[in-house]
Amino acid sequence: MSTSAQQIENLIGKNYKQGFVTDLETESFAPGLDEVVVRKLSAIKKEPAFMLEYRLKALRHWMTMKTPEWAFVKFKPIDYQAISYYSAPKKKEDGPKSLDEVDPELLDTYKKLGIPLDEQERLAGVAVDAVFDSVSVATTFKGKLKEAGVIFCPMSEALQEYPELVEQYLGSVVPHTDNFFAALNAAVFSDGSFVYIPEGVRCPMELSTYFRINAANTGQFERTLIIADEGSHVSYLEGCTAPMRDENQLHAAVVELIALENAEIKYSTVQNWYPGDKTGKGGIYNFVTKRADCRGDNSKVSWTQVETGSAITWKYPSCILRGNNSIGEFYSVALTNNYQQADTGTKMIHIGENTSSTIISKGISAGKAQNTYRGLVKVLKSAKNARNYTQCDSLLVGDRCGAHTFPYIEIKQPSAQVEHEATTSKISEDQLFFCQQRGLSPEDAVSMIVNGFCKEVFKELPMEFAVEAQALLGISLEGSVG
Amino acid sequence: MAAQRNQYFTEYQELHEEFPGQNLPWLNQHRKVALARFSELGFPSSRDEEWRYINFSQVEKKVFLPKPVESTDQVDRTAVVSYFVDDCFNLVFLNGRFSTQLSDISELPENIFLCSMKKALQQFPEQVSEYFAKATENEDHGFIHFNTAWFTDGWVLKLPENTQLDKPLHIIHVATDSDVLAATRNIAVVGENARADLLESYVSLTTDAYLTTAVNEIFIGKNAQVSFCKLQNENGKALHYSGTYVKQEKQAHFIHESFSFGGQTSRNEVHTDLGQASECELNGLYLGRKKQVLDNHTRIHHRLPDAISRETYKGILDQRARGIFQGRVIVHKDAQKTDSEMNNRNLLLSEDAEADTKPQLEIYADDVKCAHGVTVGQLDETSIFYLQTRCIDKQAAENMLTFAFANEMVDKIKQNQFRKLVLEQLLTHFPQMEMRKEWVL
Amino acid sequence: MLTIENLHVSIDDKLILKGIDLEVKSGEVHAIMGPNGSGKSTLSHILAGKPGYTVTQGSITYLGKDLLDMEPEIRAREGVFLAFQYPVEIPGVSNIYLLKAALNAIRKYHGLDEVDAMDFLKIIKQKTALVEMDQEFLYRSVNQGFSGGEKKRNEILQMAVLEPKLCILDETDSGLDIDALKVVANGVNSLRSAERSFIMITHYQRLLDYIKPDYVHVLADGKIVKSGGSELALELEKKGYSWLEEQAAA
Repeated sequence: MSTSAQQIENLIGKNYKQGFVTDLETESFAPGLDEVVVRKLSAIKKEPAFMLEYRLKALRHWMTMKTPEWAFVKFKPIDYQAISYYSAPKKKEDGPKSLDEVDPELLDTYKKLGIPLDEQERLAGVAVDAVFDSVSVATTFKGKLKEAGVIFCPMSEALQEYPELVEQYLGSVVPHTDNFFAALNAAVFSDGSFVYIPEGVRCPMELSTYFRINAANTGQFERTLIIADEGSHVSYLEGCTAPMRDENQLHAAVVELIALENAEIKYSTVQNWYPGDKTGKGGIYNFVTKRADCRGDNSKVSWTQVETGSAITWKYPSCILRGNNSIGEFYSVALTNNYQQADTGTKMIHIGENTSSTIISKGISAGKAQNTYRGLVKVLKSAKNARNYTQCDSLLVGDRCGAHTFPYIEIKQPSAQVEHEATTSKISEDQLFFCQQRGLSPEDAVSMIVNGFCKEVFKELPMEFAVEAQALLGISLEGSVG
Repeated sequence: MAAQRNQYFTEYQELHEEFPGQNLPWLNQHRKVALARFSELGFPSSRDEEWRYINFSQVEKKVFLPKPVESTDQVDRTAVVSYFVDDCFNLVFLNGRFSTQLSDISELPENIFLCSMKKALQQFPEQVSEYFAKATENEDHGFIHFNTAWFTDGWVLKLPENTQLDKPLHIIHVATDSDVLAATRNIAVVGENARADLLESYVSLTTDAYLTTAVNEIFIGKNAQVSFCKLQNENGKALHYSGTYVKQEKQAHFIHESFSFGGQTSRNEVHTDLGQASECELNGLYLGRKKQVLDNHTRIHHRLPDAISRETYKGILDQRARGIFQGRVIVHKDAQKTDSEMNNRNLLLSEDAEADTKPQLEIYADDVKCAHGVTVGQLDETSIFYLQTRCIDKQAAENMLTFAFANEMVDKIKQNQFRKLVLEQLLTHFPQMEMRKEWVL
Repeated sequence: MLTIENLHVSIDDKLILKGIDLEVKSGEVHAIMGPNGSGKSTLSHILAGKPGYTVTQGSITYLGKDLLDMEPEIRAREGVFLAFQYPVEIPGVSNIYLLKAALNAIRKYHGLDEVDAMDFLKIIKQKTALVEMDQEFLYRSVNQGFSGGEKKRNEILQMAVLEPKLCILDETDSGLDIDALKVVANGVNSLRSAERSFIMITHYQRLLDYIKPDYVHVLADGKIVKSGGSELALELEKKGYSWLEEQAAA
């Protein structure tokens, strides 16, 4: 390997800054999964009867399923009986009523992560729901949101306060039979965020959930449900981190979005779960099912994701474009380094007339990592004049990594126009030399090139997140890029 | 369909003694293993990722068996000869067996070795064993095992170093009867600096269903050049599987052109292993009508540095036809400076037609240039307008552009006589489009 | 020959041409100049009948007929020829076939027999010489793999073969080096006659050095803001477009 290639390798070696462990008293289930565990979980959360029924149905179905093997990732079989399915910070009898009652250790954790839960120090215009291990610990700005009629609360709370809404929509986009991990999640999900935007309301601020896995030997199974009623609009952000641990931890979330007529949902993720160390030890298995149903005419859902963490990422945020003229978008940056593996992409299912979708995927692979784009564009017969444009670009850094592109395109409607392009390139020594000749350090040059490569995706992120995402890539690349 | 598999197993015990090479233990071993594996797997189904869009259920509805043509008198000689291409060595196979009477290879130069697989197994079995199943050793699906167990004949071509086939070789596979199994196994060994142009055409003298399975193994020596054109023009009930497996040595050059016009369900596979600084060009055109299913599957392995691959497959799908393209390019870790492009373009002409495409890139080396592109859609509106401003009415402009879309692939054929043949066939397949030959001549 | 009256054209609800009046008589050469985005190409497209534009007001009369009422191919057969700024590549259709098909379509439209093969080749040979084109280009696919200059020459060749009455040259000079420009200009000049009119759309005065116009019009923001003789082009060359745009805005 030439010197400059070596330099790039060094530059991309990252430090995981969120890898600390918080010392907290927690309440956890013993490892293992059966009906008893599910019943206990449901009982602790004082759930309505329909929820327990749903969980049990899902568990029974899950027992009949096998781990999917089609993804381009390799991992040792997971012992689902060795995982604890519930872990929560021990709290006073009825849980914190206000932030003052939240364990200061916890508040401190979020502060370290750059997510101040104290409203005085809050991120400008962002309401945050913080999920720690299995439960939501705090939601900010509830009052202000309530004024606008927006419901933003932990899923466990929604089950108490708005059971009809949950019952109507939960599992309506991702049924409990959908796939292995979705079935598991349906059986054991512990918490997550619930959002309802009423008709005609434009959500006054960005909504954000911050997920943190802390406890060892636990899995995190959160469930997010966002309903945008007719003519409403919401932008939702999601961030994730976990401590550095030697064993792999499972994160199997389900996110369901429902956009009714003329509604718009923008969902952004910056995923920075612990990726494991340089030798591939430890890290999160991020097996997530995210799907949006553009149920109403003229509805729109836009997924933006920046995936830099996790040992293994397996996720395909998708859009079912059911309403006429509905729009689905997927913008993705996936960076894998060391022994990380990512198999990620999207599905765009065109059902309604004049539906359109755009897919922009940027994969960056370094070290010994494997980075795969997998995407489906399906145009059903009913989807007259459907349009899709897909662009998948891969950037390879070093000669021991892999970058793969597996698109599936299935068209049953002659008026559809579908276009897919993919390219693979590397940071060339010429580019590096050129930048250096113009006075840039190699670090800045690599960072600039990678950021340029990802620009189309970053511009889709809300401001606060765009900065965070760039910084994150910066850390991965050299440690300090603004 | 276990019952069908069992029946094939039983029939095999009855029939295999007629198959060539029965006295060769190595071949018997191949056949035995393949038969067992086929009994296990059966024909591929859409549950298998590599076969996900094709429905070969037709092949499971019957048991197709070899049926030798007793005497060429039973065959319409003029009909067979009408498929001959001028200025070629024409080699005829009837229901998967070589026909000496109908073939015309008398002028073949002496330094070039060409004969039927049956004869080759009798006279030069060691040479055949050196190459047999060497290009397919990693393949593991029902059709390949079925072919290995059941092949009744085939052709073997060997060009020594620095030789050249002065006329193209045209292999005509003719099926004459219903429910026939035409299974051939073919080998071409092209020595260093040698050069060969091959054309295979698949045609029917029956209007009933039958099954073709053909496996070609092609070994291209250093700096040698092979062009291989395939024209599949079978009847509307025919079931077709053919796989061409190629191994290219350093700087070897391979062009494959596939034209799938006929058949009820047709699978066309082209796989190549590229040597260092070698080149391949894989082109294809599939025209589907009625309820035809035309599946094209290609795989290109870049294992060593500096190789170039180019691929363009185009589909035109009308009525209830389904066109499938699955292309895979794998760039292994030592294949630096790989340059690869893959394209698939589809035109859907009817509400009930369908196009499925799956272009795949698997890349393990960093200093590579790889790209793929896919489109599914209609004709370019700007081109239609341009033709209108040149006095041509809209319908004619659309017809012309549809034809041009197809003809672009025909145009790539370098051998004049092949190009002419394919063009004529192309014209007969879209009569409703009023396609006119002079558009391109 | 051509009368444009109060022409308003929009695309996607955006008004591009905002009231154009223009009279072109037989044998005249008009140059339409203007800055980028002034609507020059829209005018050429609307004359040729490109889909996607909406005429919201006004009319175009060509040889006493309503031009806007005709399909693009009927306009072409009636003698309207557009030399494209970006000639389209049509892989798989040979140049010579396109020429033959187009010529025969015109002949058929006018009740004439198809051209005899020998006569056709004679015509083609003569016309290719006019634009200094190699015969080999005839047998290649339309514009495929042609250089910018070759494409433009090919447009002029088609014009020469089809012998239109009204020729619209849309930015024919763009992307041409000086030698190619001369060849194209010679081709056009040799086609000038008392029965044939030209509308040349161009950004630069350069082309007008070689093809001398009778009239020059300046298009800015969808309107003709100034008309004059060929001296106007020279003035524009010196002063640019901004003074006229300011005038128009005032």
